[in-house]
Amino acid sequence: MTTKPTTRPDYYAIAWRLPLIVWQGLFFVGPLLFMVAMSFFLVKNYRMEAAFQFSNWQRMLSKDFFWDAYFFTLWLALLATAITSVVAFPASYFLAFKASEKTRRWAIFFLIIPFFTSYLVRVFAWQVILAQSGVINAGLSFIGIGPWQMLNTQFGTMVGYLVLCLPLAVILQTFSLANIDTRLVEAAHNLGCGRLRAVFTVVMPLAKTGLVVAAVFCFILSFGDFVSPYYLGGSKPPTLSIMIVDTSKSGQQWPRAAVVAITMILTLLVVAFTAIGFAYRKRGK
Amino acid sequence: MAEPLVVFDNVVKRFGTFEAVKRMNFEIREGEFLALMGPSGCGKTTTLRMLAGLEQPTEGDIRLAGKSLVDVKPHERDTPMVWQSLALFPFLNARENVEFGLKMRGLDGPSRRRKALDWLERLGIGEFGERDVNSLSGGQRQRVALARALVTEPKILLLDEPLSALDAHLVIRMQAVLTKLQRELGITFVYVTHSQSEAFAMADRVVIMSKGEIAQIGSARDIYRTPANRFVAEFVGRNNIFAGTVNGSGNVDTPAGTFTLDGKAKPGERVSFVVAADVVSLSVSRPTARNTFAAQLISEEFVGSMVTLFLEAPGDTEIKVQVQERSLEGIPREPGQTLFLSFDSSHAHILKG
Repeated sequence: MTTKPTTRPDYYAIAWRLPLIVWQGLFFVGPLLFMVAMSFFLVKNYRMEAAFQFSNWQRMLSKDFFWDAYFFTLWLALLATAITSVVAFPASYFLAFKASEKTRRWAIFFLIIPFFTSYLVRVFAWQVILAQSGVINAGLSFIGIGPWQMLNTQFGTMVGYLVLCLPLAVILQTFSLANIDTRLVEAAHNLGCGRLRAVFTVVMPLAKTGLVVAAVFCFILSFGDFVSPYYLGGSKPPTLSIMIVDTSKSGQQWPRAAVVAITMILTLLVVAFTAIGFAYRKRGK
Repeated sequence: MAEPLVVFDNVVKRFGTFEAVKRMNFEIREGEFLALMGPSGCGKTTTLRMLAGLEQPTEGDIRLAGKSLVDVKPHERDTPMVWQSLALFPFLNARENVEFGLKMRGLDGPSRRRKALDWLERLGIGEFGERDVNSLSGGQRQRVALARALVTEPKILLLDEPLSALDAHLVIRMQAVLTKLQRELGITFVYVTHSQSEAFAMADRVVIMSKGEIAQIGSARDIYRTPANRFVAEFVGRNNIFAGTVNGSGNVDTPAGTFTLDGKAKPGERVSFVVAADVVSLSVSRPTARNTFAAQLISEEFVGSMVTLFLEAPGDTEIKVQVQERSLEGIPREPGQTLFLSFDSSHAHILKG
């Protein structure tokens, strides 16, 4: 019986997928391609002209202010990823292994609640908290220290990034840790591995995929975020997302903003693919 | 007789209000192959886990080589275990899995590697050291788990139903591997199983557990021939259980018939006794021998050259008779056929509980 199945296109399946394909084509792939094209356009007298020139790329990539912003953004995003992962892990570990089923369910519920409110609104709330005359400094002055400048600093930006990333990271980490076969942890203890050591030698490798995915989300969210560096970090020095806004506003330099945006997308792609590749890497050879 | 290696001293384990292990006292001798056997939920695995330190006894003390284990953390005990699920680390290859215990003991890389490879070699899977454990067959994974547990040269090895996930033919092979290994190493094996054939095939002594209590401890022969109580007799199977009252002439009146036990019971007493399935003889016409009764054939079951006949005697008494196929020649075996059964009173064993 070697009759090959006839490969008739499955119109029914295609019909169902069509709306999504059309939507993504119109509103994602299309604009993306247009942006790539736009990065080669020219701006004359504050007007964009279709062209195919590398001048925008040359101009942006040869300027120190661009690379300063690039590495600053990269650094902030990496720092946010590291802090989020490290801060989230003990909480996730507790929720996954120590907390009762009921506690875990409530915790997940409370971790989802922040997403009910727009991120922007939450950041405005943090402005009030972090401000020179804000809640924290009021408290500090009450016990005779401060005030500390928290708003419009990197610290402020970082607070914003954590507000954005931490709940999600804890949720993702908790689920990946909760899926671990605890018999493997017991096996480690049984073979002479102490509690803390087992966290590093067994728990983390087992939860690797989830931990890396959580970290990738943190990186993607904070690398591209505009709100925190703008409203809490005071936009100085600028991150790439702020630079996009500045560049497109000043002198209608949309093509140069497109260059920045494409550099960001490429960076995110490289980081995301490397990390996911690492997360799902089959142990080799 | 060697000094006991492990002593369970009035050990009780409760989970909430559930008493998983009820006041348990027993000893494990140095160098013996001890099986803990019983139906699921009888507390056998909990007992093993307490020995490994994965559960803490609620009451009582467990001593290993004379030392109390109560305050010893699991990772400080030298009680490696082979899990039912094997619990191999999927992120390590076969050799690295075996090395794990040595690494935790701080042994240097080259020595670890050498020892691990030695053990893999010894268990016949030397060429699979660098393989991903998930790419190995069930039997190979089993050997990796064994090597991982034995590489630290422990005095005692705990095994929690290690063969239950294997195919029948592999089980027999692994049984041979385990018994050979245990003899060669001379270390103590504590083997948890619900399988009577595994326990009886390998163990020097078997501990039968029921509802958190020890029902009987003894050799396979003892347990089979002289079950201590009804639970053991039923659990072991292959036993015919009769219950009745001893009459004035010292015989036992049961629904299946009246039997003489040669004065093993006192008049007026209610007794239960067992007769093993392989000591019952079978005939078409009523024999003149004592202890004869009639039963109707219900079904039969072949295992190799042996046949087990399932019959029913009056009073819903289930009867099992195990005989050689050859000896059944000339005996009609239609369901519903009435056959006459008899046994020698010396083969009747009175149950205590």
